[in-house]
Amino acid sequence: MNFDPSPYVALSAVIFFIGVLGVLLRRNPLIVLMSIELMFNAANLALVAFSRAWVNNAGHVFAFLVITVAAAEAAIGLAIVVAVFRRSTNVDVDEVASMRG
Amino acid sequence: MNALLISIWLLPLVGAILLWAFGPQLNRAAGVVGTFVVFFSFGLTVVLFDVARAPGGLHVALGSWVPGFDFGLLLDPLALLWALVITGIGGLIHAYAIGYMWSDKAIARFFAYMNFFVFAMLTLVLSDNFVGLLVGWGLVGLASYFLISFWFYKPSAVAAGRKAFVINVFGDIGLMLAIFVIFAQLGSLGYASVFSKVGHLSTPTLLLVCVALFVACAAKSAQVPLHTWLPDAMEGPTPVSALIHAATMVTAGVYLIARCAPIFNASPQSQELVGIIGALTALTGAILGMAQWDIKRVLAYSTMSQIGYMIMGVGVGAYEAGVLHFWTHAFFKAQLFLGAGLVIHALHDEQDLRKMGGLRRRMPFAFLAMLLGTLAIIGFPGLSGFFSKDAVIYGVLERGHPMLFGVGVLVAGLTAYYMFRMIFIAFFGTYRGELDDAAVGVTERAGSPEPEDHAVHLPDWVMQGPVAILMIGTVGAGWFAIGGTASPWYRFFGDTFGTSAASAGVSGFPELASTILVLVIVAVGFAVAYARYGSPNAMAHAVDQLRNESRTMPPILVHAFYVDDALDALFVRPARALGTFFARFVDPHVIDGGVKDLVWLASALGLVFRVLQNGLVRTYAFTLVAGAAAILVYAAWMGSR
Repeated sequence: MNFDPSPYVALSAVIFFIGVLGVLLRRNPLIVLMSIELMFNAANLALVAFSRAWVNNAGHVFAFLVITVAAAEAAIGLAIVVAVFRRSTNVDVDEVASMRG
Repeated sequence: MNALLISIWLLPLVGAILLWAFGPQLNRAAGVVGTFVVFFSFGLTVVLFDVARAPGGLHVALGSWVPGFDFGLLLDPLALLWALVITGIGGLIHAYAIGYMWSDKAIARFFAYMNFFVFAMLTLVLSDNFVGLLVGWGLVGLASYFLISFWFYKPSAVAAGRKAFVINVFGDIGLMLAIFVIFAQLGSLGYASVFSKVGHLSTPTLLLVCVALFVACAAKSAQVPLHTWLPDAMEGPTPVSALIHAATMVTAGVYLIARCAPIFNASPQSQELVGIIGALTALTGAILGMAQWDIKRVLAYSTMSQIGYMIMGVGVGAYEAGVLHFWTHAFFKAQLFLGAGLVIHALHDEQDLRKMGGLRRRMPFAFLAMLLGTLAIIGFPGLSGFFSKDAVIYGVLERGHPMLFGVGVLVAGLTAYYMFRMIFIAFFGTYRGELDDAAVGVTERAGSPEPEDHAVHLPDWVMQGPVAILMIGTVGAGWFAIGGTASPWYRFFGDTFGTSAASAGVSGFPELASTILVLVIVAVGFAVAYARYGSPNAMAHAVDQLRNESRTMPPILVHAFYVDDALDALFVRPARALGTFFARFVDPHVIDGGVKDLVWLASALGLVFRVLQNGLVRTYAFTLVAGAAAILVYAAWMGSR
């Protein structure tokens, strides 16, 4: 029962990096949220892979937790996007900078 | 017994609290309540008369804080005497004040303060330890401040109250210092244990304690050079002047020295010092009394002078004589002040002697009261002051102080002069109230008149009654001392005061000779006063003469020997300069400056860090990622080692 997690972890790293780039570079809030979702799922993949490798169910449990958190995050994120969109038709995250110090 | 003593002590406090709480409801009934409470206390004191004279007196332990700090009440002959005067004469003055303050809106506040004063004074004299004494000592100063500034809308009254309070607090510091030294050296503060261990103190320590105690006395009892508050204190209502600034509070210094007799007995140098200061005060007060135009200020300086006698007496170790003078003085000085109050009241707040004159016929009762009081204070044979003053003057000589004896005799003559000067100007000749101020030489008013509205007046007997009762004491209070050391007065005290180390020097001078010498000098003083103000010739030119005298009064007397100015230059101005220095430099540059620098630092840091808070979500995200990357790199690096 030898399981090599390396390909899964590598894939996870790639997806995570795509997500990071999406958050840093894209200005559409919906895309940003989707990128964050990517990062969550990259993490999930890594968790499940390691869980399989160490024969330890904690990773599975964590993956489910992450899915729940991701769902909550999506709900709140979309609500914020809707609220911002109501105020102005702008959908550029850089324009929403009223918290500037 | 114990409950009775505690009641004597606390009843006036209960009265004060009642009057404070329900003053508006009680309104003028407040006077009756306040007076009743004090008389009730007096009644209880009389009940305890015999108990207090038992050996050791009546002692009530109230509680203990730490060993050596036991609180309690003590009623021994000395405390009994003071308690009788405070509640008895105090009660009479309360009764008089009902009439005097009737038309004042704040009558309830007045009686609340008066009751509070009686409570404070009883705390002072009934305490069985130095801490209770200090508490009472401070509280009477506070009550005095309240009452001097009673008419707080008069700026002069407020200033006088403040001055009295500050000087009194100076005295409190002296008392505190003495208490610290006593506790550090002897480890206890109860009178009994301290006095039994006086022998353990070294001579310099004793001297320090005595001098510190005497500083307290000097401030409270208006001794040179801390006397300047007393004349100003006459800004208070006249009953206050009678009760606090003549009969009781200002004699607290006499009480303190008499109480601490065992300490002073052990330190002849300090006895010498106290005697000299007392004599100096007696002389200063008498000299300044000769130059006053305000009837209350004449009495104020005469009070100072008489307290000088008392302090001189108790200072040199003639305790019974000094305390006797306190006892008789309480009667005749209260009577003089209340008589002056009658005059001031009837003349619609005129206090200047030059605007009086001829009052003998207009108000015969006030004249009788003032004349009797004057005769008593100058020591007319048979009246109370004769016995006490004689006892003090001879007591001083008996203990080997011929110089002080000379001063005492001289001051007796001056007293006769200035008191009869007042009587002649105010009560003889013709009434000058209708004349212009300038015609009789009034250029400026020493004190401001007492504000009143004369809409309502009580019948005359309300104010005259208490004065009439005081007259009994003015005449007879000294009779207890007839018969020298075998008299009831000396037996009353027994061995309360112990024997003074310095009481050895009995001169060959007989007491009768001293008495006759004093009487001759008094007669001379009277004769001079008569020639200058009372003779038919002087009466005829009274107006011109008064104007003349006002103009030619030596400035040194007008400015009261410049003591006020000297104190001002020595203490007030340096203190004010120090305050200005701190306000101009230390506060803005050190204290405020430090705070300002902190504020500047915070805002500078803010300027730096606000750059990070640019509101761009992507920047925040980048910071996050960069941080995570940094941690990753660090972990990788650490892991590779």
